[in-house]
Amino acid sequence: MINLNQLCKTFVTADREIKAADHVSFEVQPGEVFGLLGPNGAGKTTVMRMILGLLKPDAGSAEINGISSSNQPDELKRQVGFVSASAGVYQWLTGREMLAFFGEAYGIADTDLNPRINQLADVLKLNDFIDRGCATLSTGQKQRLSLARALVHDPPVMILDEPTLGLDVVGSQVIFDYIDHLKQRDKIVILCTHRLEQAQRVCSRFGLLHEGKMVATGTLADLQNQTGHQDLVSMFINLLDDQAGFPQLSPGEST
Amino acid sequence: MSRSKPRTPFRIKRLILKELRETLRDRRTVLTLILMPLLVYPALSLVFKTFLFSNLQIGLQDDPVKLQFVLTSDGTNDQTSKLAGRLHQTVRQIQQTNLDENGQNPLAAEIKFAFPNLADFHDHTWSVLPEEQADSLEELVEFSSSDPNQRADVGVRFLTPKDNSPFGYQVQLFRRNDMFSETAAQYLNAWLKRANQYEMQMRLKMAGVPSQATWLPETTVVGELEESSSPVPLASLIPLILVLMTITGAVYPAIDLTAGERERGTLETLMAAPIPRFGILFSKFVAVVTVAMLTAVLNLIGMFATVWAFQLDKQLGVGVFNLTTMFQILLLLVLFAAFFSAILLVVTSFAKSFKEAQVYLIPIILFSLAPGLLAMTPGMELKGFYTICPMINILLLARDVIQGSVQTVPAILAVVSTIVYGVGAIRLAAELFGSDAILYADSSSVREMLQRPRSNQRFVPLGASTLALLILVPLNFAAVHLLDRLPSETAADFTTRFLVMGSLLFIQFMVFPSLVAAYQKTNFKTGFGLTTPKPVFLLGAILLGASMWPIVMSMTSLWHDVYTWMAGAEAGNQWHDQLVEKTEQSVAAVRQVHPLVIAVCFSIIPAVCEEWFFRGMLQRSLLKHKTVLSSILLSGLVFGAFHMISSSVIAVDRFLPTTLMGIVLGYIAYKSNSIWPGIALHAIHNAFVIFLAYYQKQLADQPWFPADEEIPLTWVMTGVALASAGLTLIVFAQREPCEQ
Repeated sequence: MINLNQLCKTFVTADREIKAADHVSFEVQPGEVFGLLGPNGAGKTTVMRMILGLLKPDAGSAEINGISSSNQPDELKRQVGFVSASAGVYQWLTGREMLAFFGEAYGIADTDLNPRINQLADVLKLNDFIDRGCATLSTGQKQRLSLARALVHDPPVMILDEPTLGLDVVGSQVIFDYIDHLKQRDKIVILCTHRLEQAQRVCSRFGLLHEGKMVATGTLADLQNQTGHQDLVSMFINLLDDQAGFPQLSPGEST
Repeated sequence: MSRSKPRTPFRIKRLILKELRETLRDRRTVLTLILMPLLVYPALSLVFKTFLFSNLQIGLQDDPVKLQFVLTSDGTNDQTSKLAGRLHQTVRQIQQTNLDENGQNPLAAEIKFAFPNLADFHDHTWSVLPEEQADSLEELVEFSSSDPNQRADVGVRFLTPKDNSPFGYQVQLFRRNDMFSETAAQYLNAWLKRANQYEMQMRLKMAGVPSQATWLPETTVVGELEESSSPVPLASLIPLILVLMTITGAVYPAIDLTAGERERGTLETLMAAPIPRFGILFSKFVAVVTVAMLTAVLNLIGMFATVWAFQLDKQLGVGVFNLTTMFQILLLLVLFAAFFSAILLVVTSFAKSFKEAQVYLIPIILFSLAPGLLAMTPGMELKGFYTICPMINILLLARDVIQGSVQTVPAILAVVSTIVYGVGAIRLAAELFGSDAILYADSSSVREMLQRPRSNQRFVPLGASTLALLILVPLNFAAVHLLDRLPSETAADFTTRFLVMGSLLFIQFMVFPSLVAAYQKTNFKTGFGLTTPKPVFLLGAILLGASMWPIVMSMTSLWHDVYTWMAGAEAGNQWHDQLVEKTEQSVAAVRQVHPLVIAVCFSIIPAVCEEWFFRGMLQRSLLKHKTVLSSILLSGLVFGAFHMISSSVIAVDRFLPTTLMGIVLGYIAYKSNSIWPGIALHAIHNAFVIFLAYYQKQLADQPWFPADEEIPLTWVMTGVALASAGLTLIVFAQREPCEQ
């Protein structure tokens, strides 16, 4: 289980302070895909980075199965597979070398590593290019390789930050299909995406983030009740229109 | 799937392999690695041959090299011709006659010097020219041949042109730093000495005196002729080129593996994996050092091949180039590559993009040229401060290795200090590398240096104060040198000089920072710490101000002891004498000026202005971003470093006491949240130091005043006691809250 408790993070620039996370709290259970949604700059990526321990929260805590990044950073990282929109690939390594490198980094036994890479290559359709240098890959191929990289150690938790950014419909479909597959395997998935129709289909619960605040959490039905809107797209547009229809949650409260 | 926690050394090995694979497969790295030594050395050797050693080509010709000498004397032309004839005759006799019991003539040994194929003595061109023909011997030499490339600018003037007297002569060298001329002068000088020696032996033999007599006639050599002097110190040039090549090799991977990886988005992925941050950085460090070393080794091979092919070692009197030398140089290069890679990683870990890293590195590389060129200066020795001066020490040591003149203690100091710097740099890089601020911040830190904030600020933004600090470095240099140019003869000169000095301090450390703060819309009260302090802080500061001078002065003498230990007694005494002389000069100057001017320029202005900038603007902007300890230490170190800039030399001895002073002042400013107590301390301290010197003569008459220049132990102890009392007051006083 992922448990976020009152996470706060403020960035200070020359002339202003930006609250990227303002007392953000939520939980995700195994078998759930949690859609962390919100407009650009809402603080989604900051929240994800804090879960992983890449960013240190100013206050609050994030735990995965009782492990927190402040106490056992390495153990926590072993629990998570992380894909981000900006995640690059090593230009001068082949896909297989990259997967092997990360497999070793996550401590997978040598005997298990090759079968695991082959399995991922089959499922994510990497076989055509896995032995090519990454510099020559297309955006979609790179993103599928990134997903494979995040899955190489078969983590119980997946954090996906815009995994379909820059992908065409077919490329996106491969990714979303796999997310579905992860859900069936009782994995915990946090998904952050702008493809709202797909999110609506694949996510079990949602959290709507705006200016660092969690303005609503719950299932699609919960959100429909709270906002009076039927689909995520209209909820989103209203969120931008001065948060119309969204009841303000007090810090820590979830619905 | 079975999973285990991999052992760290295992993982680091994998990490290193991955980094190396990434780097060495990159064609740009390979290009630098292989193309550089392939192209640079032949090109450099061409440059050497064309410009620097053009006359060497003569030495490499198959035909014997003929030199052209001009002979003259203060007698008549006839007398000169006779003397020239006698010289030739004597040399011929030396060459033909066996003199000693063994049937050997030691004087007849060939004199070849730098040119292996020098013509016979008599085959050179000997022009006898009357002295009246030109104003000087130099003109006469110039007059003798129009092509300076073919001419050794050496002339001989015979003295006392009396028959049967030994050759009194002057060999005059007119083109220093010209290999051809220097060699010719040495050659000529050697032959003239032998001729004299021979004549003397003959004469003593005729008089029945044993030939072992070593009395030699008086000869004069104008121009210092050093043995095997070389116009271009190749032994110094080689390390510099190698070091530059090592740097070139390290720069690209250092940027690519840190800032580049951040830009490509792979760094975040790596940081999200369960690998310790230090492990990641260390593997990158190893990769950078490896590439730097590969570059260095290929360069070393390229260079030695070039030196060997062009016979530059023979021509330039460089020590023997053998495998041992190469191996020692290689070890030094490993050390240097590790040190410099660590420095590079500090900078590139801080940079947020490839471009930003390049912007930071260019000045660093240019900056590292300065010690490189300094190490090339003839007469530079690896001793004293230079043994611990980064880069210079390794360059000088490498030069000594090539010349075969390594001294153990300085060499150890150079190696150990470089290792210490490298380890320090790696630690700093590890701290910076992948930290929140570096991993995710945009380039705001660079932008905010110049950007004017929209809203009012309580403190000057750190970027702006850093930029101000960077601008103050050259400003301060310029100010110090401007002062040096002012006349310093009369009392009025000194008054003007001190007033200008005070005004410059005022402009640099008060006006300039104030302008920066105003531009940054900073509230002066909070930005500079102008709040009224609690009386206890003032009291503590006054106690410290009155008591720190004996401690600071003992620290200077402590530094003298350290220096003496490092550089030897002779250098230590020399340094001490220089310091005493310099201090006496300054004190003599100070005493000519009215005490009021001294009080203003040496006590009040430095106290107010330096506190305004160092503890006010700089430390307060640091405190907003860094811990208290690091802010105080940093501002103290910067304060110490600034006081090292004194006219034309770097006054290392001032660093330690001033830094300590800066730290104390920083602590007080932090604790009292105000710069006023610091100003009081600073002013009182300066006043004590300067007026003790000012009134030294009057004070010396007092029975209690020490006659010795050493500060009596009782004074130091009293100082320590008073300072402790002052410090205790400050430590135990409650900190003034900061209005953040």
